[in-house]
Amino acid sequence: MSDSGTLLAFKAGRAFRREGTNFVDPSPTKGAIILRKEDDLLHLIWRNRTTNEAEEDLILFPSDATFSKVSQASGRVYVLKFSSSDQRHFFWMQDASSARDEEFVNNVNGFLMDPDYEASWSSSSQPEASTSATGASSSSAPSGSQATPEQLAQLQQLLSTAMGAGVPPPSEMSLNDILTPANITPLFVSHPNLIPTLFPHLPPDLPTPPSPEVLQRIISSPQFRSAVSNFDQALRTGLLGGLVRGLGLPEEAGTGIEPFLRAIQRQADQERGEDSMDTD
Amino acid sequence: MSGDDDSNGWQLTESDPGVFSELLKTLGVPLIVDDLYSLDSESLSSLQPLHALIFLFKWVSTPSDTMSGTYDPDFPGFFAHQVVNNACATLAVLNALGNIPSLKTGSQLAELMEFTNNMDPQTRGLVVTSSDWLREAHNSLSPPSAISLDGLGLPKQTEDAYHFVVYLPSMGSVYELDGLKPHAVRHGSYDETGEGWLSRAREVIENRIATYPAGALDFSLLALRDDPIPALQAELAKYQAAGKQTEAAELVVKLESENFKRNRWNFENSLRRHNHVGLVHALLVALAKAGRLEPAKENAKTVMKERIAKSKTRGEAMDES
Repeated sequence: MSDSGTLLAFKAGRAFRREGTNFVDPSPTKGAIILRKEDDLLHLIWRNRTTNEAEEDLILFPSDATFSKVSQASGRVYVLKFSSSDQRHFFWMQDASSARDEEFVNNVNGFLMDPDYEASWSSSSQPEASTSATGASSSSAPSGSQATPEQLAQLQQLLSTAMGAGVPPPSEMSLNDILTPANITPLFVSHPNLIPTLFPHLPPDLPTPPSPEVLQRIISSPQFRSAVSNFDQALRTGLLGGLVRGLGLPEEAGTGIEPFLRAIQRQADQERGEDSMDTD
Repeated sequence: MSGDDDSNGWQLTESDPGVFSELLKTLGVPLIVDDLYSLDSESLSSLQPLHALIFLFKWVSTPSDTMSGTYDPDFPGFFAHQVVNNACATLAVLNALGNIPSLKTGSQLAELMEFTNNMDPQTRGLVVTSSDWLREAHNSLSPPSAISLDGLGLPKQTEDAYHFVVYLPSMGSVYELDGLKPHAVRHGSYDETGEGWLSRAREVIENRIATYPAGALDFSLLALRDDPIPALQAELAKYQAAGKQTEAAELVVKLESENFKRNRWNFENSLRRHNHVGLVHALLVALAKAGRLEPAKENAKTVMKERIAKSKTRGEAMDES
């Protein structure tokens, strides 16, 4: 998928009117609303974030549609209405915070009125928001709204988190497959001196004093596995520069799994060098 | 609904008896939660006195309108709506605790219950979930924030929406308290004799499970019960005083198994609270020093490739681990 035509994207699910009633039931499926410009036509796409399928692709003509809150509904339910037909499409906001709902809606309506509209964002919510995306619209956009390569890269990153089931870009490998009991247990056997050096990293409030057995049990525990998994996912965002510095690693180690592991290898080589000098 | 919605600082916690029991301890309540693997009389009677059943489930698909029981808008007991996400486990526990007659609780919980007395379910839900100490008690068993992915917009693998529904006896009827429903649901009166409310509750839960197509419902059942340790200890002392060695020995075995379980819960809870990044780092450095990191990486890459290929052939989005 090329992202160059994407104008706007945010997390939203669909909602459906119950047959014969005015009730609108939100569907729990995770999705995203994406506004794109293709061949000078404005598309409103609803993408399922679990399957990554575009399940709805509506072509919108300028000033034909409006996106507004359903005031009768208690939740964050919105309806896309057309002046040319009585079609209705219901959606509900799925971002964790409702803080930016209004902003998204205003920008959606801006594009619905005029596909050459320029999205406006409150500056405070810019880069961290992770669910919004602004970018250059198309070549027909006035010069000056062209995105810089940095902005495009940021857009790509924001989009990849906003969509694709929210799954960060697939990685070549996962830390879970490296820190397996099968990889670690032989290390404990060949380097028994390592074991006590790991004790300071264990929870301080364990009901049993640390021992090789306890360490083994921790490494195989679902809690540790899930912590590794969380860390792995966080690394894949490439945003852990600050955190890895705390581990004595250079900031670029926080930009991904491969850079992280490369930095670890360098750190290990350095420490090993120091160790051998000590013993000389 | 999904964890994407507003969570107001409530973190997702694991639905594990050890987590619930730790929460109950913090609330100053002499109860524990145990897994329930079967609804048969024998399993239930071994857990008596049993105050409530917590049915937790994940929708895979929702059956059409098959609600059983009747809404009771005048339910005089404690019922709070679930107004923020991730609080569902704690809210279910409160909905249960609030309806156990003459329950001993810590002062903070007693005050909260007192304060929300006579409030409508929605307001009560809002008040309960805006309670800082309760949120802290709930959050204390979720992973430390240093590695929490909050705000990065990433999916958490445990994010799947588990929903919690409480079944308990109140004023001669079995009630279902579901924080996402407008009212308490009454499932009819029960007979005090024999198994009492449990026999009615079993029927209701079994019927509910049966409304879902096979395999469409992922669920488990938890039992909210008296902490058995004090009773076991008292009984043991009695038998020992009376010189009944055989009976005493049996109780010692039961006590040991309860204590063993507590020990496991404490162990797991301390792992849940801990930030494991230091251990992860130390292990990786150790692997690297031993020259085993590179081979492990190569192997992990192969495993990942196979996983992607497999998920492609299944036509699914990649979702490892």
